[in-house]
Amino acid sequence: MPRFLHTADWQIGKLFGQFESDEAALLAEERFAAVERLAQLAALQGVDAVLVAGDVFDAQTVADRTIHRLFHAMAGFGGRWLMIPGNHDAALAESVWTRAERLKAIPANVSVCLRAEPLLLDSARVAVLPAPLTQRNTHVDLTEWFAAAETPPGFMRVGLAHGSVQGILAEDIDSANPIVASRAAEAGLDYFALGDWHGTRQVDDRTWYSGTPETDRFRANDSGQALLVELAAPGALPTVTPVAIGRYRWQATTASLQVASDLDLLLARLAQYGPADVVQLAVGGRSDLAGHRRLADAIGQAQGRARSLMTDLSALQLEPTTEDIEALAADGYLNEVVVELQAAQHDADAERAGTARDALVLLAGLLDARRPAAKGGVQ
Amino acid sequence: MKLTRLRIEQFRQFRTPIEIGDLAPGLNLFTGPNEAGKSTIVAAIRAAFFERHRSGSVDDLRPWGDSAAVPTVELDFELDGQACRLVKSFLAKKRCELTIGSHRLDGAEAEDRLAELLGFLHAGKGASRAEHWGIPGLLWIQQGAAHELRDAVGHATDHLRSALNESLGEVAASGGDELLAAVQAQRAELLTEAGGRPRGAYKEALDREADLDAALRELDAAIVRYRQRVDALAKLRVEQAADDAERPWLAFRASERAATERVAEIRRVEAGLAGERERAVQLEGRITLLRSQLDAFAREEQATDKRAATLEQARQALAAARAPVEQWAARRTESVSALEQARAVLHAARRTETRDTLMREESDTRAKLEAAAAQLARAESAQASALALQRQVAASEVRPADLKALRTQDRQLADLRLQQAAAATRLSYALEPGRSINIDAQTLSGSGEQRLLAATTLILPGLGRLEVAPGGGDLAELAAGASDLEARQHALLARLGLPSLDAAEARQLEHTRLQAALDAAQATLNALAPQGLEALRAEHARLQARAEDASQKLALLADEAEAPALAAVREGPDSEVVTDAGGHTERRNAPHAVPVPGVADAEAAERHAAQSLATIQHSLHQAELSAANAQAAFDAATRELTAARAVVDAPDRAQRVAAANRDLTDARAEQAALNARIAALQQQVAEARPDILQQDVERYRNSADQLEQRHRSRRDELMRLEVELHTEGAQGQEERRAELARDHAQAARRATELGRRARALDLLLGLLHDKRRALTRRLQAPLQKHLNHYLQLLFPQASLEIDENLTPGPLTRPTPTGSETGDFEALSFGAREQMGVISRLAYADLLAEAGRPTLVILDDALVHSDADRLAQMKRVLFDAATRHQILLFTCHPANWRDLGVGARSLDALRG
Repeated sequence: MPRFLHTADWQIGKLFGQFESDEAALLAEERFAAVERLAQLAALQGVDAVLVAGDVFDAQTVADRTIHRLFHAMAGFGGRWLMIPGNHDAALAESVWTRAERLKAIPANVSVCLRAEPLLLDSARVAVLPAPLTQRNTHVDLTEWFAAAETPPGFMRVGLAHGSVQGILAEDIDSANPIVASRAAEAGLDYFALGDWHGTRQVDDRTWYSGTPETDRFRANDSGQALLVELAAPGALPTVTPVAIGRYRWQATTASLQVASDLDLLLARLAQYGPADVVQLAVGGRSDLAGHRRLADAIGQAQGRARSLMTDLSALQLEPTTEDIEALAADGYLNEVVVELQAAQHDADAERAGTARDALVLLAGLLDARRPAAKGGVQ
Repeated sequence: MKLTRLRIEQFRQFRTPIEIGDLAPGLNLFTGPNEAGKSTIVAAIRAAFFERHRSGSVDDLRPWGDSAAVPTVELDFELDGQACRLVKSFLAKKRCELTIGSHRLDGAEAEDRLAELLGFLHAGKGASRAEHWGIPGLLWIQQGAAHELRDAVGHATDHLRSALNESLGEVAASGGDELLAAVQAQRAELLTEAGGRPRGAYKEALDREADLDAALRELDAAIVRYRQRVDALAKLRVEQAADDAERPWLAFRASERAATERVAEIRRVEAGLAGERERAVQLEGRITLLRSQLDAFAREEQATDKRAATLEQARQALAAARAPVEQWAARRTESVSALEQARAVLHAARRTETRDTLMREESDTRAKLEAAAAQLARAESAQASALALQRQVAASEVRPADLKALRTQDRQLADLRLQQAAAATRLSYALEPGRSINIDAQTLSGSGEQRLLAATTLILPGLGRLEVAPGGGDLAELAAGASDLEARQHALLARLGLPSLDAAEARQLEHTRLQAALDAAQATLNALAPQGLEALRAEHARLQARAEDASQKLALLADEAEAPALAAVREGPDSEVVTDAGGHTERRNAPHAVPVPGVADAEAAERHAAQSLATIQHSLHQAELSAANAQAAFDAATRELTAARAVVDAPDRAQRVAAANRDLTDARAEQAALNARIAALQQQVAEARPDILQQDVERYRNSADQLEQRHRSRRDELMRLEVELHTEGAQGQEERRAELARDHAQAARRATELGRRARALDLLLGLLHDKRRALTRRLQAPLQKHLNHYLQLLFPQASLEIDENLTPGPLTRPTPTGSETGDFEALSFGAREQMGVISRLAYADLLAEAGRPTLVILDDALVHSDADRLAQMKRVLFDAATRHQILLFTCHPANWRDLGVGARSLDALRG
């Protein structure tokens, strides 16, 4: 009973520019760690092979060191690894694969399928039909040949491809590298291992996207997993078990402060973030200065705990109350300035409004800073 | 605030207590001379407020030399309607007590309260300094410091503001300026002060973003190039594989070979054609040769005929050349004899001319000789007469010295006789007629007079004798002198042989006449013989010799006269040929007796004859040359003809001419056949188009070459691309791009953040400035009002500006022509002092309005003001004193007598 670990979209060499450099470095590093965890899992499960459905590398010209590191990360599993190139690492005339080969980085137990021909796993009695991308993008279905492909009798047929299954992903209708949805059935595949979609997704009984083992974007549902596949017998439905591999939880979240308790709820949420959280937080609504200060303090603390917390408070209006201004001792013409900035936040011009808001925050900060320490402590 | 009483003890010069009570709520005038203690009172008030009672820096407060002193100041004053008392003692006994109404404060607390109330600060350490004094520092004018306004206002600004804030109802912001400074500093970190351009961290962030962006674009371009080359590599590989399979150049190679074969074939035909053409050329050469042989035979015969004709011509020419030679020889003989004749004539002419010359010379010389003889005779006679005269002159000469001596003696003698006459005794007598007397030997009668020079005897006839002796001895001397002189005169005359002086004079005249005659005779002689007689004689002899010489030469010539040469001429041929220069010859009849011609004519004739001969000689020579040439030509022609005849008359010549004619005919027939063959071959070659065939060969070869070349270069290109791509791929460009993109995104985020912060700070700063300016304008207004109030008293219609630090700025005053504006600092010392005082009073008014305590102290102020201004200032002070308590200290009591308050003398107070 052949068993496989199905994974894809490792995107090795990917960097995360939207984060601060220390955070980005850790996120990039984690992609190697995810491969190590996959190897451990494969070894633990004793699978017949690990099927990697494309986009192993994020780019063709990654550093030599990156290539070596990847294959070292795979050392934890000494069984067969079957890989195909995806759109990021297509098997071009000169590609990351030809380089890896020149560098002699690819261990013997790793097979990179650069040609569309069946690869036989004799011990497991499985024929793997790969559909490697030899162009960055193509508009023909590279799995076309599966149906006509001859495989030894008694061998189960497993497809391995990278692309968009037609008709299920609305936004990908015109996308490159199409794969017809009925391919598994037409070609008599026992299992069809797909890559390209970063979240885990089942297409039909036999067809699955494994998703990326380590999440790399906020907009990816159900990512950070690999699929453990068991093929009981030829023609039988495969048993597919998602296994969590990823470390970081990527969350894009928003909050709107309308009433005082909204802030408390948001603060409670912030308090929960831990070292595995990568968070994008946009806050809107309105707040007085005291609330704003509490929010800023809470964000600062949460940033200390979370792997990454990026906040966007630009939609949050500051509405200092009389108490605020009194507390800040903003008397005389300072008071006039506060009032004018507060009004300017509602300027039709978004940039001017934003600048006014920033100025108000700045002024509040300065006023707050000069208050006697005793008062600040009470606050 | 109103002081009511003050008491000072053990304080500098006030070792014993001094107390001043009953201080008026308005003006208080204290007078006293220097050293009376005015400034000490002021110092005591200042110390009471400004110095901490615990201060260790107030040693100067103690009386000199009193180390145990306890300087103490006690002040009673009224503040906000409450009676207050401040008692402060320093050094030996440090104490501070403040009572406000019933409230009592001690120590530092009391001091802080006072500072708060009055608006000043205590020094953190050491003695209190100007920057701590605040409002009192402004209102308490120290001696000679009234004009120093700016610093005092500066130190008081904050207190003034806070005081004013209260009066304006909290419009000012507490600590607004610090906040503004903080915002300004933070903005200055990101934006330039002036232009608001990015700087510092903001600029760095922008620059970094731009740099990274540029690097990113560069890398993107590199990646695009890389990808294009990867694609090119794939394409090339496909092409190369196709080429390897097809090898398309092989077909072209085969075509090339076929074409080459055909070209070789036609080349062979062309070679045959070339051989025939060569033969044609050779044949043509043979025909030409044969023709030229035949022509040569014909020319030989023509040459013989021509040579014979030439010989005949030479013969004629020779004959013609010989004829003139004989003619010219005859002419030359004639010309030679003519020349000889001309030369004989010339000789005769020259001798005749010599004889004539000699004859003329002889006659001339003879004439001159006669003249010279006559002149010599005259000169000799003149010389004889001159010698006679010379003798006479010598005989008649009287020496001038002798003549002079004679003349002198004569005169002296006359003198002596006169003296005798004068000294003589005069004897006058008148005798009776008929009677006489004798005197010496003399008889006298009648009457008369006698002079008696010596003793004389008078004989009176009939009477006897009278002996008269003239008196005086000198008469005798005179007589002696006279006789001596006469003796000498006689001697001289005797020597000269003359009878008398007159004779001497006559001889002198005669001598002079003879001398003149001698001179004349000498002159005559000189004229006749200027060189002397001998010269005349020599000339005469010379002429005589010449005359004889000439006669001798003539005689010789006369002997030659009959010489045969001349006879030959005279008896020459009957005719002669005269040839002139032009060669014209004429014969003329020669007379029998030919007169000898002039030498010039004879010479001309001889010259003509010589020239004529030369000309004829030349012509003869020419003729002889021509004849010789003609002879040579004739000889040559004769030889040539002989040679030519020899050739033509050779024995086998006719046979050779016939053979040549036969060969020519054969060669012509062969040439016609050859030309037909050549035409046939040419047509064959032209139809084959060998040039096109050659082009075909090249076309096929080039095509094959190009294909092979492309194959090879593609192989090279592939290799190059592979190497390049391997190398570049190893650089990890896309990974680097990802890193760069990450860095760029971070830089952009930072730049955006800083930009937002900069804009916010800019906005905030602008707003703060605007609001503060508006506030300042509101604060300035009341001060302006109070200042104008006083200013009008001092300078009617003047106005003073106030800057945002509440400091007086430029003063504008009306002038006859308009108005003038000047800075406060530029005013005269006196004016600045006055302005200083009224500005302070205006501040005091402002503070009073704000409900703040005011006390004005003037220590010896306004000493630089003139009487007019001082009068105005007194009005100002009097007016101000209705609102403030003013303590005025002066050492000029007289100046302040009309202040309207009584002066207190410090001396009296200490009394």
